[in-house]
Amino acid sequence: MNPETHTNGYLSGSKLEKILRAGIFAVTAELGPPQSADASVIRTKAALLKGNCDAVNLTDNQTAIVRMSSIGAGALVLQEGLEPVIQMVCRDRNRLAMQADLMGAYALGIRNLLCLSGDHQTFGNHPTAKNVYDIDSIHMIKMVSDMRDKHVFQCGDPIKGAEPRFFIGAAAAPFAGPVEFRPFRLAKKVQAGASFIQSQLIYDLNAFKVFMEKVGKLGLHEKVYFLAGVGPLKSPAMAKYMKDSVPGILVPDELIARMTAAGKPWAGKKPDELTKEDKKARSEAWKAEGIKICVELIQQLREIEGVAGVHIMAIEWEEAVKPIVECAGLLPRPEIKDPEPVAL
Amino acid sequence: MIIAEQKPLEELKTLIGDAKKVLVVGCGTCVTVCFAGGAREAAIVSSSLRMATKLNGDSKEITDFTVQRQCEWEYLDQLTEPIENVEVILSLGCGIGVQAIAEHFPSKWVVPGLNTKFLGLPIEQGVWSERCAACGDCILGITGGICPIARCSKSLLNGPCGGSENGHCEINPEVDCAWQLIYDRLSSMGKLDVLLEIQPPKNWQTSRDGGPRKIVREDLRLGSKEEI
Amino acid sequence: MSAKRRVTYIKDLLAKIGLEPERVQMFQMSSAQAAQFAEAARQMAGQIEALGPSPLRMKDKLLDEKQVEE
Repeated sequence: MNPETHTNGYLSGSKLEKILRAGIFAVTAELGPPQSADASVIRTKAALLKGNCDAVNLTDNQTAIVRMSSIGAGALVLQEGLEPVIQMVCRDRNRLAMQADLMGAYALGIRNLLCLSGDHQTFGNHPTAKNVYDIDSIHMIKMVSDMRDKHVFQCGDPIKGAEPRFFIGAAAAPFAGPVEFRPFRLAKKVQAGASFIQSQLIYDLNAFKVFMEKVGKLGLHEKVYFLAGVGPLKSPAMAKYMKDSVPGILVPDELIARMTAAGKPWAGKKPDELTKEDKKARSEAWKAEGIKICVELIQQLREIEGVAGVHIMAIEWEEAVKPIVECAGLLPRPEIKDPEPVAL
Repeated sequence: MIIAEQKPLEELKTLIGDAKKVLVVGCGTCVTVCFAGGAREAAIVSSSLRMATKLNGDSKEITDFTVQRQCEWEYLDQLTEPIENVEVILSLGCGIGVQAIAEHFPSKWVVPGLNTKFLGLPIEQGVWSERCAACGDCILGITGGICPIARCSKSLLNGPCGGSENGHCEINPEVDCAWQLIYDRLSSMGKLDVLLEIQPPKNWQTSRDGGPRKIVREDLRLGSKEEI
Repeated sequence: MSAKRRVTYIKDLLAKIGLEPERVQMFQMSSAQAAQFAEAARQMAGQIEALGPSPLRMKDKLLDEKQVEE
């Protein structure tokens, strides 16, 4: 059977792929699986995101802390009627496990994959574990696109039955070092077979515009769908932490100032003078400002050439996604009427 | 060279256990240069153990002897006399030396006094840094002489990852980002186009992943047909 | 500075062995400071007396006595 006809000309036939192909500004969100085997956590979070995004990413042992697997969570998300984007890092699996897991994921109905290097295990709760890193993220992109387009395993053996047909994505860190090389590394990922990009959190629009211009000059706007990463700030401390301690995140002082200003009504009190009600109210004020900033960023990002959508990372705050998407004028999310391809 | 570090004295005491007669064996090559197991260190370890065990009311006979290299049988032959009646040999050689002594004197119990850490060099006096992972398939020719297998925390071949900031690796600000180093080196030589190519996945079979390794050079073997 | 590093190293080693690090001390002065030297020597002598004979010598004595008994 000709794979071209069976997916109606799409690479994977996923909803995300169809929306991006149709030129609609896409919205993806993130769902962090729990540090347990509790499926109800996934169902609860999925309910918060349903209808508010086109697809939802399931992180893979994020920050090297063991959590329910991305594929397991992805299968549950499918049951809840949302489209998953599974993430796979190079830290924990060798090429055998990756290919095996991806075939299983495809058989379960998963169609989107984000390929990542993964945070080093020293960050997490199992720092004594053996480091895998058999292949890097660019190898993974090529391996998965060859499975789809050439019907071969990484070793070259042909895949004799149904091949997994993923819509393949990669990450981008526009401000990580060396900054001048980042657009070229993005080009390598596209060359390897990445169809969409989800970037690291963007707060500094000027710096991001410079990056996107360089990306455009390399002819990448036509070749890859770039979803800019955004995330609502929860507090001035979070903003400062992101700026100082997380590689590749630039946070303009102006935004830190706005977050601090939102807490002004309580600024006169010393920390031990703040009541429980004070802290709650202040936190609500910070969060409201964080969401406001996020909405503004989304509106401005839409104007930048080459930006095909946004990837909203509301870390452990999935409730924030709906207000952000709504205020940014991105609701309702479009329904795609094309029939889904059926896995053979 | 091989860089090693001494195990703590408490651990050495546990390793020699109840033995009454112990020989501390130093090595005159790599571990001398990294001040972990040379003649001087062997003498200090020997004397420290004598004192420490004596304070516990345990009188042991602990002496030391250093050979040029523990990793060659001919040098180890020098140990034949010194190890007579010795119950435990505490080797201050690298892991290779410890095993060589054990293999050469199979009736003797040999214990390691060092933790062998890595292949590297002294970047300045007193500071040693890892450089080589002995992967068996050297790619230094395309990375400007900087090894991403040993020096990139994720052994990326198409680095850097998103955790590179200010030339440092996300795991520790004191660890250089190998890919920043490679980028700078290739940039200074006008060879950045090398980084535009996608490097293929590594064949890990030549590294330890493929199983314990061995090299046989028939042209060098004694009694080979090549010998006249 | 090298002498100071060595003294620190020895103190550290003595502690690991189980002996008192105070048995080794470093005093800094010029060769012309006779009075300070004498004072330092007095101080050290007092400290050592307080610490008593090296435990190793006591152990030697005990072990010798034990051997005599056997």
